[in-house]
Amino acid sequence: MKSSMETDRSRAWRGALVAVALLSAATVVCAVLDAEISLMSQAMIDLLAVVAASYLVPRLVAVGTAIGAVAALNFFFVPPRYTLAVEHREHLIALVAMLAVALLVSYLSTALKRESAAARESESRAGQLRSLAIDLAAAGSEDEAVDIGRRALLERFAGPVLLVTSVDGVISSGVDASEDVRRALRCCIDEAAVLGPGTGRWPGLDSWYVPLGAHGRVVGAARIEPALASDTIGREHAQAIAALLAQGVWRLRLLEASLAARAEVERQHVQATFLASVSHDLRTPLAAIVAAASSLEAQRSRLGDAEQGRMLAGIVAEARYLTAVTENTLQLVRLSAGGGALRTEWQSIEEIVGSVVGRLRARPSGGRIRARLGRALPLVRGDATLLAQLATNLIDNALKYSEGAVNLTVVQRGDRLLLSVKDRGSGLAPGDESRVFEPFHRGRDASDARGAGLGLALCRAIAAAHGGSLGVSRRARGGCRFTLALPVAEQPAVEVLP
Amino acid sequence: MSIKVLIVEDDREIRSVLRTALAAEGFEVLTAVSVSEATALLEHDPPDLVVLDLGLPDGDGAQIVRAVRSRSAMPIIVASARHQEAEKISLLDEGADDYLTKPFGVSELLARIRVALRHRGTTLQPATTRYARGDLLIDVDAYRVERAGRPLHLTPTEFKLAARLVRAGGRVVTHRQLLADVWGAEHVLDTHYLRLYMGQLRAKLEAVPSEPRHLLTETGVGYRLVVD
Repeated sequence: MKSSMETDRSRAWRGALVAVALLSAATVVCAVLDAEISLMSQAMIDLLAVVAASYLVPRLVAVGTAIGAVAALNFFFVPPRYTLAVEHREHLIALVAMLAVALLVSYLSTALKRESAAARESESRAGQLRSLAIDLAAAGSEDEAVDIGRRALLERFAGPVLLVTSVDGVISSGVDASEDVRRALRCCIDEAAVLGPGTGRWPGLDSWYVPLGAHGRVVGAARIEPALASDTIGREHAQAIAALLAQGVWRLRLLEASLAARAEVERQHVQATFLASVSHDLRTPLAAIVAAASSLEAQRSRLGDAEQGRMLAGIVAEARYLTAVTENTLQLVRLSAGGGALRTEWQSIEEIVGSVVGRLRARPSGGRIRARLGRALPLVRGDATLLAQLATNLIDNALKYSEGAVNLTVVQRGDRLLLSVKDRGSGLAPGDESRVFEPFHRGRDASDARGAGLGLALCRAIAAAHGGSLGVSRRARGGCRFTLALPVAEQPAVEVLP
Repeated sequence: MSIKVLIVEDDREIRSVLRTALAAEGFEVLTAVSVSEATALLEHDPPDLVVLDLGLPDGDGAQIVRAVRSRSAMPIIVASARHQEAEKISLLDEGADDYLTKPFGVSELLARIRVALRHRGTTLQPATTRYARGDLLIDVDAYRVERAGRPLHLTPTEFKLAARLVRAGGRVVTHRQLLADVWGAEHVLDTHYLRLYMGQLRAKLEAVPSEPRHLLTETGVGYRLVVD
């Protein structure tokens, strides 16, 4: 395939030299043995040279060799010697028969040679396509697949080879090519047809333009050189490589599309459950507020002072709960959006826990909180507002799901600061250990308690944003323990003042 | 003569509730819905105290704080939602007296107003230099600190820190203000200094340092001494 007129001609010349050498050698051997062997043996030696030549030289030269061999035998050895005349009729018949045999042998052996070369060639092409198919099946990205395709083409064609991919007929950016080449590539992609020498389309081009894929799903095109009009096999091979490459790219695109579609479905599902959970958490307290407020508006004169007071207190409590839900939701959305840049500063966990506990103690259930903090706790880097919200949510959650004491402890263990909140509530159902942190999960007795769902999801997001972790475990004699682990970094330097 | 309070708030409902609530406490209430209206009122009918909402339609609350501070020590209380934290802190640093996080209860607002008004005219009267609440006494002028009648020894830095909070008289003091006043302007970002020294101070002043009753943390903002 990698041939041209020039190399064909030089090969013929070389072949002619080989043929002349073979004939001369055969004639010399015959001359040397002239006294000992008959004309028949000399004819056989000449025939041997013809057979050898037909294997070694191009076909036309081989035919010439056959004719030359008969002429040489006639000239040198058939009486009368050194003329082309033939004395005996028998010799004439032998010479004609020999010419026929020589031509036939020459024809057969060149045909055999061509076929075995073609078989070797096609075997090697098939082998290349096989390994290309295997390589493409393993390709993980479109770029990788295109790279494999380019290497396969360069194995067969001297090049240069240009491979471009396209999406919906638009060639991907970053292709360095002249406007003419671009136009040919676009046309090849649009028509899903091979262009260039020997194809009947744009035969004036100096390269082949092979589309990747069939009509309707062309994923790109290849520009291949050298392109000979006569090299049908080469062109077909290029098309086969292009077809395999197109399949590979198409498979990768389908895979990507299906992964994206699945991710989108997942996202919508999360969003829907998130919204359902938030709107539930918002609607319930709103219903309580509307009921109490409208009752006060319509029935105030018929309600006693105590009842009015209870309703007003209910409105305030529900509104505070709404505030907490709103705050948790906003923070969670902000954290999961990845933005909202954490305002990290050195924080004292003792201070944060102190202010949270102080605030929660003011509530009716706050008396159940027992806090115990280790001495000389290290500072941690973090966002005080978020860490305070985390502690609030954990304590809130424990107060809501238990009747007894809620124990809060903070200790340092190696390079971690551990904050635990323990209760003796009804505990977790087996398998709930990870589900309680899902945004829409409602714990234990969901019927009588409000969803802390978002609260715990936010806690985990805050822990993660601080490079820490938050886990929950069941306690041996009932209840559960939430543990926040925060990394302790090297402590900041302080200029010591008296 | 009753005390005049200016409420700058663009939400009609909140404005109306606050007006009613403050009027019920005997305040004379002025309202403004925008920075421009507030500026005009401050010019022609100066109140005794301003409750300033953040996120007004026509501009920045900082304009009002600066305009007021250039002329008087009139107390300013900033009311802000959680997401306006940064703006709130910068207003406190610029001289606003205190803050409320929305949503807030009327009793919280009244408590803040009471604290703020205590310092009305601090430019004329001597600043607060004495804190006495429960078993704790801090007398800045006499350089004396006592708990349950026993004298406490504070290091000079601890004392400076305590004195700064006493002078604020129950109002919040931001991290930046504390760091600048106690350690110097070059330390305004070194919040870890505060964490460490506040820890030491609490260990001396509070009965249960992890559950302070006097020296409160305003998470993300600063510190304050509780006044009754």
